[in-house]
Amino acid sequence: MKDTLTRGGPDPQTRRPPPVQPPAPDTPARRRKRLITRTRPWLLLAPALLVLAGLLLWPMIQVGKLSLQEYEVRFGGGVGTYIGLDNYAELVSSELLWKTVLPNTAFFAFACVGLTVALGTLVALLLNRLGTTWRLICSLAIMAAWAMPAVTGTYVWIWLFQPGDGLFSHLAEGLGLIDPETTNWFTQRLPFYAIATLNVVHHGFPFVAITVLAGLLTIPKELYEAGMIDGANAWQRFWQITVPTIRPVFLVVTILSTIWDFKVFTQIFLMPGGDGSNPDVFNLGVYSYIEAFAENDYGTGAAAAVLLTLLLLAITIVYIRTLFRQGEEDL
Amino acid sequence: MTTRTRSRTRTRTTPAARFGLGVAVAALLVFALFPVYWMVSTALDPKALTRGADLLPSGVSFEHFTFAFEKGNFGTYLLNSAIVGFGTILGAALLSLFAAVAVARFKFRFRTSVLLMILIVQMVPLEALVIPLFIQMRDYDLLESLLGLSIVYIALSLPFAIWTLRGFVATVPKEVEEAAYIDGASWFRMFRSVLLPLVAPGLVATSIFAFITAWNEFVFAYTFMKSSDNYTAAVGIFQFFGENSTAWGPVMASSTLVTVPVMIFFMIVHRRLGSGLAAGAVKG
Repeated sequence: MKDTLTRGGPDPQTRRPPPVQPPAPDTPARRRKRLITRTRPWLLLAPALLVLAGLLLWPMIQVGKLSLQEYEVRFGGGVGTYIGLDNYAELVSSELLWKTVLPNTAFFAFACVGLTVALGTLVALLLNRLGTTWRLICSLAIMAAWAMPAVTGTYVWIWLFQPGDGLFSHLAEGLGLIDPETTNWFTQRLPFYAIATLNVVHHGFPFVAITVLAGLLTIPKELYEAGMIDGANAWQRFWQITVPTIRPVFLVVTILSTIWDFKVFTQIFLMPGGDGSNPDVFNLGVYSYIEAFAENDYGTGAAAAVLLTLLLLAITIVYIRTLFRQGEEDL
Repeated sequence: MTTRTRSRTRTRTTPAARFGLGVAVAALLVFALFPVYWMVSTALDPKALTRGADLLPSGVSFEHFTFAFEKGNFGTYLLNSAIVGFGTILGAALLSLFAAVAVARFKFRFRTSVLLMILIVQMVPLEALVIPLFIQMRDYDLLESLLGLSIVYIALSLPFAIWTLRGFVATVPKEVEEAAYIDGASWFRMFRSVLLPLVAPGLVATSIFAFITAWNEFVFAYTFMKSSDNYTAAVGIFQFFGENSTAWGPVMASSTLVTVPVMIFFMIVHRRLGSGLAAGAVKG
C-alpha cells in the first residue's frame, strides 16, 4: 500500500503494485514523493477553491456583516458602523415586506413551480409517446425555448403584451376584452406576475420535460402491461405506476425549480415598473437590489439578501438530503 | 389529452389518438417556438411598431440590425460580451479541469465536503452576491472593467463546470493512466498526453456552458458597467427603451443577435451535458 502511494499513482486503492518493487527504506526522496502525492489533489483544487472562496464565500460573509451595519457611501470608499440587528428590525417591521414582497415572492414561486412541473411532465409524457423523428423535432423546439436567454426572452414577452402595440393587446382588443386606451397589464400586480409566470414557465419547462423523459425511459414496459391486464386506465397507470417509480426525479425537478423560482430577478427587474418604479411588484431579490443600489441603503438591502439566502439554503438542504437518500449521487 | 392515453401500445393507435397526439405536438411547437419566431420576425419587419396582430412581417429588411450597429453601438457591446465570454472560458476551463481531476481521481480527506460545498455554493442568489461584490470590486478599482466582470463569471460558472467535468474524468478508464505510468510517464506527462485528450469533449462542452453563463448574465454587468462603452450585449439592449416609447424593431434585432449564438451553442452541447443537467447543477 505504502509502496504504491510513493509511486505517485492517483488512486492507491485500485492500482496494482508495479511488478518490480523492492522494499526500499524510507529515504528522504521517498518521503518527498509521498508528500507530493498527498498534496497533489489539494494543489489541483487550490486555484478553483481560492476563486470560489474569494468571490462567493467571502462576499457571503461580507453581506452578513453588511446587514449588521449602517453603510455610508463616501467619496473613494464606504464606511460601515455596526448597529446590531436594526436593519433586520426595520425589515421585519416594514409593511411592504409582509404585504407585498414576501407574498409576491412566495406565490410567484409556487405558481411557477407548479405550472413548470405540470407542463414539463405533460410534455415528457407526450415525447415518450412519439416516434423518433417527431421526438427529435419536439426536443429541438423545447431546447430553443430553454436556450432563450432570460434577458431577451423577457423583452419578447414584454413586446407581446405591450399596451396598444403588442400582439396580445391587439388580440384582446379585437375580442372586446380590453379597452386599449386604458389597459396597461404591467401596472397591476396580478397581470404583471401572470406575464412573469408565463415567461419563467416557458423558460423552465424544458428542463423538467427532458429530465422526466429520461426517468420515463427507465420504467420497464412490463409494469404498464401488468397494469393494463389489471384493468387500470391511463390516469390510474400514471398515478399508480409512473409517479411512484420515478418519484425521485419528480422530487429533484420540483426542488430545483423551487430554488430557481425563488430567486428570479432579471425577468422581474426588466419588466416595466420592475426596476423600482412600482413597489407593488417587488419580490425579495428586486427589493434587496433596489434598497441597496437605488436607495443607497446597503444595510437593509443586505438584510433582505440574507433573508433570501437563508430561505434558499433551507430548500437546498432538503434538496441535498433528497439526493443522498435516493443514493443517486455517488459522491 | 384523454384520447392519446387510451392505448399505450404504439401498434394499436386509434385515429382519434393520432389526432390528439397531432394537436398536442402542434400546441407544444407553437408554445415553445412562438416567442423566438415573434422576436426574429419583428426584427426583420420594416414596420415593426405598427405590426399589431399580423402574424407575418410586412416585409423583410435588415434596417433594424443596421440601426442597432450604427446608432446603438451594438458591435462594441457584442465584442465586449465576446471578450468577457472567452475570458470566462479560459479561467473556468483551466480551473475546473484541475479541480475535476482532483475530485474524480484522488481519494483524500474532506473530498465529500468539498463536493458538497460546490453543490451548495451555486444555490446562492446572485442578488445577495451583487452588493458585497460591487463594494469589493469598487475597492479594487475593477468596476467598469471587462477583467473584473470575467473574474466574477469564472466564479459563477465554476461549480457547474467542476460538477460536470468530474463526470467526464471519471469515465476515463484507470488502465489508460496506468499504461502511461508503466511507460515511465510522470503524473504531469500523463495528465497532458493521456487524460487531457480524453476529456477534451467534456472540456469543450463545459467551456461552451461557461460562455453561455457569461453571455447571458445581466445583474452584474448592469451593476458594474455604468459607462456605455463597457456595456455587454445583454445590458446594451436596454438603451433602446425610451421614456415613453420603445423602438421595438432595434430591441428585437439586438435580442436576435444575442439569442442566436446561444441557441446554436446550446444545441451543440445539450447531449453531452445531459447527465450533468440531471444532476441539478445548471442555473435557471
